[in-house]
Amino acid sequence: MTTPVLTAHALTKRYGSHNALTEATIDIPAGRITGLVGPNGAGKSTLLALAAGLIRPTSGHIEVLGRRPAADKHQLARVGFVAQDTPVYAGLTVADHLTLGEKLNPGWDPDIARHRIEQTGLDPKKKAGRLSGGQKAQLALTLAAAKRPELLIFDEPVAALDPLARRAFLQSLMEFVADLDVSVILSSHLIGDVERVCDHLVILAESRVQVAGDIDDLTANHYRVVGPRGTLDTLPAGIDTIAADHTDRQTTLIVHNTTGQPLDLPGAEPIGLEDMVLTYLHRAEGLGAPILQETRS
Amino acid sequence: MIWLTWRQMRTQTIWTTGLLAAAAAYLLWLAWAIRDYYDLNVTNCTSECTADNARRLMSQQFELTLMLAGMLVIAVPAFIGAFWGAPLISRELETGTHRLAWTQTITRTHWLAVKLTIVGGASILASGALALLLTWATEPYDAAVDNRFTAFTFAARNLAPFGYAALAFSIGITVGLLTRRTLVAMAATMIAFLLFQILMANALRPHFAEPVTATYEFAEVHTAGSADTVGIGPDGAAVQGFLLPGAWVLTDTAPVVDTTGTQITMEQFETCEANGVTDMDECFTGLGATFTVQYQPADRYWTFQWIEAGIALALSGILLAIAFWKLPRGVN
Repeated sequence: MTTPVLTAHALTKRYGSHNALTEATIDIPAGRITGLVGPNGAGKSTLLALAAGLIRPTSGHIEVLGRRPAADKHQLARVGFVAQDTPVYAGLTVADHLTLGEKLNPGWDPDIARHRIEQTGLDPKKKAGRLSGGQKAQLALTLAAAKRPELLIFDEPVAALDPLARRAFLQSLMEFVADLDVSVILSSHLIGDVERVCDHLVILAESRVQVAGDIDDLTANHYRVVGPRGTLDTLPAGIDTIAADHTDRQTTLIVHNTTGQPLDLPGAEPIGLEDMVLTYLHRAEGLGAPILQETRS
Repeated sequence: MIWLTWRQMRTQTIWTTGLLAAAAAYLLWLAWAIRDYYDLNVTNCTSECTADNARRLMSQQFELTLMLAGMLVIAVPAFIGAFWGAPLISRELETGTHRLAWTQTITRTHWLAVKLTIVGGASILASGALALLLTWATEPYDAAVDNRFTAFTFAARNLAPFGYAALAFSIGITVGLLTRRTLVAMAATMIAFLLFQILMANALRPHFAEPVTATYEFAEVHTAGSADTVGIGPDGAAVQGFLLPGAWVLTDTAPVVDTTGTQITMEQFETCEANGVTDMDECFTGLGATFTVQYQPADRYWTFQWIEAGIALALSGILLAIAFWKLPRGVN
């Protein structure tokens, strides 16, 4: 699995005059569980729908597993997609959905399907329209999983679920990923979920990619630097300022160290994932660091 | 995919089959009634057994019923297009299930092709079968009345309904895909199909071929064909509603002209009366009256049926081409 699961270059999707996704350039390596994070309307669903081939880009280029999304049957077989709100056919039973999966996917794995249905306690005779949100999500995950894809894409799979169902769903997801050697891209606006499940991160805000990378690298290279006012006006090359906050006497910076070397700045301390994400989201909205400090507990 | 198509259509198919079976039963009863009446009054006719009388009798007995039956048969494609065609894609888009269906191991083109073949094919067969049943049921009537170009007769017999079914279904699919709203697509299908019918019957069908122009001696008005009214008024003399057996007369009102080619006036008739000729026919004949009508001859019936079905199929093809072009390019 050396082909990146997703590469996008200057990927743009426009609806009328509204930019849903602007010039996104991303490289998501294989074998990761990638979290796509951003506020509502940031372009997460657009990016994932482009990756699933449900829509086509206005401009730019996207490849999934090295090929154009939904190019043909073979490509469709390699990607499993669970859409936002996990749509299922309300009038069809759980068993009907499994038959659907079996008939429409040559690579269908009936054992996985049966096992997962037993595990989640779904009643095969029940109409999908009568399932709870959590059960629907489990059914949609089962369909996508039993297809045996190389890449699984989830668009806000847990957004509509209560905390218990959310936990159960993420648990299923992680078990499944561990069993099947599959790459995953999932979008969420819940940073806590992403932190629990993912090892790679893409932050999307205001229809642009803010930062992307392995979560360990990102958290290791983002720092809060506090120093007397004036001392932090010039930073070494390769140290990018993400946010700055000045008081009369001191300056607080959030910086991203892109040098690959350990950061050698007095008063620098690493920040957690959630603070880092929030800093990027606030920057995208044109807000400074103070709000970030308020959100710190 | 065939399984899924069937599974999704199962409920509709059952109730549609029920309705169609009821319509078919009615047509069978109608066929019996027509044959019974025809045997009694035409085959076993004992007095005044002219073709004219047969036509008059059959018309009186069944004209209204058969117009309604024709409407029913024409409405079937509209309803099938609205209830089967329109929701086919738009319902998936409305409920979001297209994101489930189109991310299985099947291309959207394949998905649409299967749906179209099965559901569209069933629509065409259902509408067509009903029309053929009506065609068979009304055979004795159509033979006696011999007026197969009338709007509700022409459009409800033989080939044309097959074309209509394909068209209504395609309108439903494509409008559903473009508007993404089932109700809008259903309404649009009905309206577009109705407009198509009106346009075809009134504007296009009369001109499928160059009409034949024929001038008749006034005396022939009741021998060459038949007319609703022949009369004279302040506007002059005219033949209204002239019919030629089997043909489609396009001229509603034909002015009756004298030998100089000008329409006979009230004054000319009054002159006749002053000269002691009080019978209008006699007066007109004396003036060398003629009238001219344009018509499509009876032997063009099948050509027109093919053209009608062909136009509907061609439009249907264009609409489906749009759908097949649009679908893989994404609809979100």
